[in-house]
Amino acid sequence: MNVNAPVLLSPVHAALLARNPVWSEAGVTPPAVLGFDGNDAQRAAAVGIADLSHLPRAGAKGPGTADWLAAMGLPVPLQPNSWNQLPDGGLIARLGLTEFLVEGDASITDTLMQTDRAAGVYPVLRQDASFALCGARVNELLLQTCNVDFRTLDAEPSKLILTSMAGVGVTILYTRTFTHPCYRLWCDGTYGLYLWDTLVGIAEELGGGCIGLNALR
Amino acid sequence: MKIMICPVNGPRPVSEFFCWGEIRPMPDPDTCSDDEWADYVFNRNGAPGVKKEWWCHSASNTWFIVERDTEKDVVLRTYLYGEAA
Amino acid sequence: MPWRLLRFALSKKHPEPRMFSDHPQLKSSYDVVIIGGGGHGLAAAYYLARDHGITNVAVLEKGYIGGGNTGRNTSIIRSNYLTPEGVKFYDESVHLWQDLSEEFDLNLFYANRGHFTLAHTDSAMRTMRWRAEVNKHLGIDSEVVGPDFVKRAAPMIDLSCGGHAPIMGALYHAPGSVARHDAVAWGYGRGADMRGAEIHQQTEVLGIDVQGGKVRGVQTSRGYIATNKVLCAVAGFTPRILDMVGIQSPIYIHPLQAMVSEPLKPWLDPILVSGSLHIYVSQSARGELVMGASLDPYEVQSTRSTLDFVEGLSSHMLDMFPFLSNVKVMRQWAGMADMTPDFAPIMGKTPVEGFYLDGGWGTWGFKATPVCGKTMAHTVATDTPHPLITGFSLDRFRNFSLTGEKGAASVGH
Repeated sequence: MNVNAPVLLSPVHAALLARNPVWSEAGVTPPAVLGFDGNDAQRAAAVGIADLSHLPRAGAKGPGTADWLAAMGLPVPLQPNSWNQLPDGGLIARLGLTEFLVEGDASITDTLMQTDRAAGVYPVLRQDASFALCGARVNELLLQTCNVDFRTLDAEPSKLILTSMAGVGVTILYTRTFTHPCYRLWCDGTYGLYLWDTLVGIAEELGGGCIGLNALR
Repeated sequence: MKIMICPVNGPRPVSEFFCWGEIRPMPDPDTCSDDEWADYVFNRNGAPGVKKEWWCHSASNTWFIVERDTEKDVVLRTYLYGEAA
Repeated sequence: MPWRLLRFALSKKHPEPRMFSDHPQLKSSYDVVIIGGGGHGLAAAYYLARDHGITNVAVLEKGYIGGGNTGRNTSIIRSNYLTPEGVKFYDESVHLWQDLSEEFDLNLFYANRGHFTLAHTDSAMRTMRWRAEVNKHLGIDSEVVGPDFVKRAAPMIDLSCGGHAPIMGALYHAPGSVARHDAVAWGYGRGADMRGAEIHQQTEVLGIDVQGGKVRGVQTSRGYIATNKVLCAVAGFTPRILDMVGIQSPIYIHPLQAMVSEPLKPWLDPILVSGSLHIYVSQSARGELVMGASLDPYEVQSTRSTLDFVEGLSSHMLDMFPFLSNVKVMRQWAGMADMTPDFAPIMGKTPVEGFYLDGGWGTWGFKATPVCGKTMAHTVATDTPHPLITGFSLDRFRNFSLTGEKGAASVGH
């Protein structure tokens, strides 16, 4: 990694660094964690937490946003608080009535950021901390930190939930995009380190802990 | 745990919300008198009753209107602005 | 075996006189009617009789005396406020408190403990220095101390507060005290009663008769009373009484909750307050920890209490005192706090002639009980606001000249 180049680091970069991670190959920015030690898979089986803050994302909101995104060929979710998969494996999420989050390949998010916005479309800066939570005991962790029972998302795979977890506002959805089914979670980046430490602490009590991307894929 | 019903996100614990107080029409600051303006800025309807209030679901930043009995703390109705009828 | 108690149990006639006399009937008129038989109302009746010779007074209480916020507060007494108006006023109160037990011949368990307002951030430290300077300038014993000093005064404290709110220092106010709050109402009640004032419990005010902008009488659940002077001292019920006389006010009602733990051996001498953690705590003479937090976040005009409150306050208590994790909470309750936009009370005359207001006491009323009684008695007797309360008039809102009392309890800085 070229330390001189300005790179947007994960909000939990310091916490990752402290655990001596294996980073993704040089030249890929921002860097992602592939794994920590030999036991990632074991932890992932119990409760695993991976940092996915490095994924490119873009946000927009306003009354004209749904039409604007549809005109660009994106599969806009029709219901508030729901999401759709993008063909390349990314996703588009409708947060409430008129706000959208797109996460996926940089070619899509860059296009969104650079395209002229239509009337009633406003950009939303997305500097999220974003995690994936997986494992057999993941619901025990969720029940300790949040008032919503996420097991209902199993039955309604296109739904997403905006709620408060350990006092932090979060967006949560359930996805089978990876080999391990997992919950994806986004929160404001400035709360990232706190939420990461809190969740990793509980996950470790439950026999899991932090994992890299390889354990998820 | 008290449950508030967000018109978009559904029933949630009241800790996910904050209350912005009673809906009060603002007098026109250019034409109203100083007394009318002071009344609007400071005075409140502090007696109990069914009041219409602004509430916000903070996790999703959804603003909506709650009709609530402030003596019994019972929520009678919640709806988005503009849906009032 | 305490024989005296046995004698009480066996005797048909109570061998000791009651604290105050019973009046089966209301008189048809009184010189002054005081609405609200809490500490403030009873103190006003006491000082009206003692200092101004006005004894044809009725105190009307819809429940029982001291059953409102007088018996629901966490009984902290201090004067380290922020504005000169506030400091002077509360300091006078602290001085009155110190002689009260003797004056009443009743043990109020007034205990001088020392009061710490903890600072967990640089900006809180700045506020503490500011408050200390204002206090010292006005002759109040108040200083900024470091974490070591706090630790010596409360050795059980975790100075790091669980790691996320380390204590950087505190505002230390040596005269800070606690007192038995219901005894204050009883002491003032007995004193007023001995001097001729009547206390009527279970008497609700249903309406106030105002003619030509002047008070003429009060309609109660036990009949009509003619009077030219009404003092309203009803804390969380203030807006309801103001509606009866058609006065608009900025008062809004939020519940303020509190709870106590099971009794413990004495381990906490001082009173500790943390704005960042939303805690105030002291240990009572019975050994219970008396704990409060911040106001409930929305308007409710009842004294319901919530589990959310116990949960939140307990978690913050454990940040500060981790060893309490096995201690049980005994009971919780709430009072209705009549809040004002500038965290200062509203006292004095009103646009209705003969209607005097002692309200807006929010979360800061108990400590002011003696001085409120004294200044409101003066105001009612002479129809001129006492010099100590001129900064607290209802007019200040209309004139956009607020007091800005940010030294009040449960106010974040």
